[in-house]
Amino acid sequence: MSAPLEVEGLSVGFRTRHGVVQALSQASVTVAPGELLLVVGESGSGKTVLAHTLLSMLPRNVNVSGSVRLGGQELLDLAPADLRCLRGRRMALIPQSPASSLNPVRKLGGQLLEAAQARGLAEEQARTRLRELLGELGLDLDFVSGRYIHQLSGGMQQRIVNAMALVGEPDIVIADEPTSGLDSDLVDTTAAQLLGISARGTSLLVITHDLRLAQRLGGRVALLYASRIVEIGPTAAFFQAPAHPYGRELLRALPEREGKSIPGLPPELTALPGHCAFAPRCPDRFERCTEALPDLYPAPEGVLARCFAHAER
Amino acid sequence: MSAGSGVIGSSLPAGVRPWHRLAAAFRRWPSSVRVAAAVLALLALSGLLASLIAPLDDAAVDLDWVLDGPSFAHPMGTDEVGRDLLVRVLHGVRISLTIAVLAALAAVAVGTLIGVLAGTMGGRVDALAMRATDVFASQNHFLFGVLALVLFRPALGGAGAVMLAVGLTHWPSLARIVRGELMSLRERPFVSAAVGGGANRRRLARRHYLPHLMPAVGLAFVLTVPHAIFHESAYSFLGLGLPAHQASLGNILADGQRSLLAGGWWIALFPGLAILAAAMAIGTIAEHWREHLHPRWRSELEL
Repeated sequence: MSAPLEVEGLSVGFRTRHGVVQALSQASVTVAPGELLLVVGESGSGKTVLAHTLLSMLPRNVNVSGSVRLGGQELLDLAPADLRCLRGRRMALIPQSPASSLNPVRKLGGQLLEAAQARGLAEEQARTRLRELLGELGLDLDFVSGRYIHQLSGGMQQRIVNAMALVGEPDIVIADEPTSGLDSDLVDTTAAQLLGISARGTSLLVITHDLRLAQRLGGRVALLYASRIVEIGPTAAFFQAPAHPYGRELLRALPEREGKSIPGLPPELTALPGHCAFAPRCPDRFERCTEALPDLYPAPEGVLARCFAHAER
Repeated sequence: MSAGSGVIGSSLPAGVRPWHRLAAAFRRWPSSVRVAAAVLALLALSGLLASLIAPLDDAAVDLDWVLDGPSFAHPMGTDEVGRDLLVRVLHGVRISLTIAVLAALAAVAVGTLIGVLAGTMGGRVDALAMRATDVFASQNHFLFGVLALVLFRPALGGAGAVMLAVGLTHWPSLARIVRGELMSLRERPFVSAAVGGGANRRRLARRHYLPHLMPAVGLAFVLTVPHAIFHESAYSFLGLGLPAHQASLGNILADGQRSLLAGGWWIALFPGLAILAAAMAIGTIAEHWREHLHPRWRSELEL
């Protein structure tokens, strides 16, 4: 049932009055069937744009180039009707903030049933499937059906959107900032639920800026900085010893490590430099860093890092 | 249970009669809504049964009873040509409410249509619709109404022309509200979540936009109904609405205005009270309905 998701040379830019905002540059990444990939980076690094590009949910003022293939099928030039078939059935989205991602004026029963029916299930079948799925997540269909989203607790809301994403048995689930605005015990529950989804054999792409969540989830991690993937490799290796100086500084900024923030600001996305974008803030930079753009070079432990420090090996 | 209702595990077991369902709903209503529903039912019923209880004869003039105050024989008194006012008010309620409801429906239909077009199509359609709205809203809508009456009265008759005149002049504010609501709805997370889940345009419109628009549309309808009664009376007063002999509340009010100087206060009072009762009853029910539709507005804490 699972199919690999292959992203190759994906660039996304938004045309604005202040020039083109380059949100993603030449991003290439593959999610193998059943794999868990984390996309990590600070605000404005292009994480959410990546998620929305995969689902082709972009505004009109956008320039997209590159390729996104799911099970070999190119998604970027699909017709809107084919896209709708794809969304929900083959790729599902767990949206940011469950509370506002469900219609506040309709009871949940109708919305759940409709989500299941939009995935091509008949009414009776949809109900059985929902009952099963919610049961697995520890919720009772009859209990939630008659309620509105605001009448449930944060953890229950999260489980509802998870169930809606899973009801169509998608090949890949994309979770967009699943923990933004949650307190730490809810982050734990969410992490457990995401691991549960991954354990079912569904591929999972998690977009997050929450490094603690990333550490809990494991899998592989792609680190974004100023629209480029700067490091990609096993999550465990990243948290032990990041290969890219940005990763190192990012981890050092965590309060439980050193709590030392990175000096300077990320570059403006309208005027990205032709050299390493992190160079101005990098403590280990040398001459070449401000002259040319590094490639992704192999680093220890199967990690790829966009840093000239690894080019010499 | 149909798929459309989308309710799973309704609290009512199968085989419960609709009547019991209605009774159960009635018990859940607050007392203000019960009173309003009773008043509205009374008005509607008396309007419906008026021709059975007291057939109306617009030409039944009784000059022995001209401008007689409320008495046992004539509970609401008589008008300046001796016709029984109770009979005329009962029929007036029926005629005016029907015209007002249909006129408000027309206004709401036009307003929703223009608002939805502007809010979903955007670009030039939006600009054109909004400039048209500005032009209409900046001019005296009564004047536009009179223009519509003059144009359409020969073809549609008095009642039809009044409905159309109100419908064509009372859409701008609703169109603006619907457009604004749609534009903000389009950016709400649950809409993009639904799109991400594979929703098409029709499902978005039916399941996500419409339930949010209903309170605004319903409220606009209800607020237009009493307003439409006033318009009907004003048009009739000017001789552009219903024929002067017909017993609409507006016509009776116009009669009352003339009789007021002769001391006949009851002719203006009773149709006025009927308009007030109808407007307040509909307004109370609408308020309750709005709270029911918008659960967020309903306070869950009893203070």
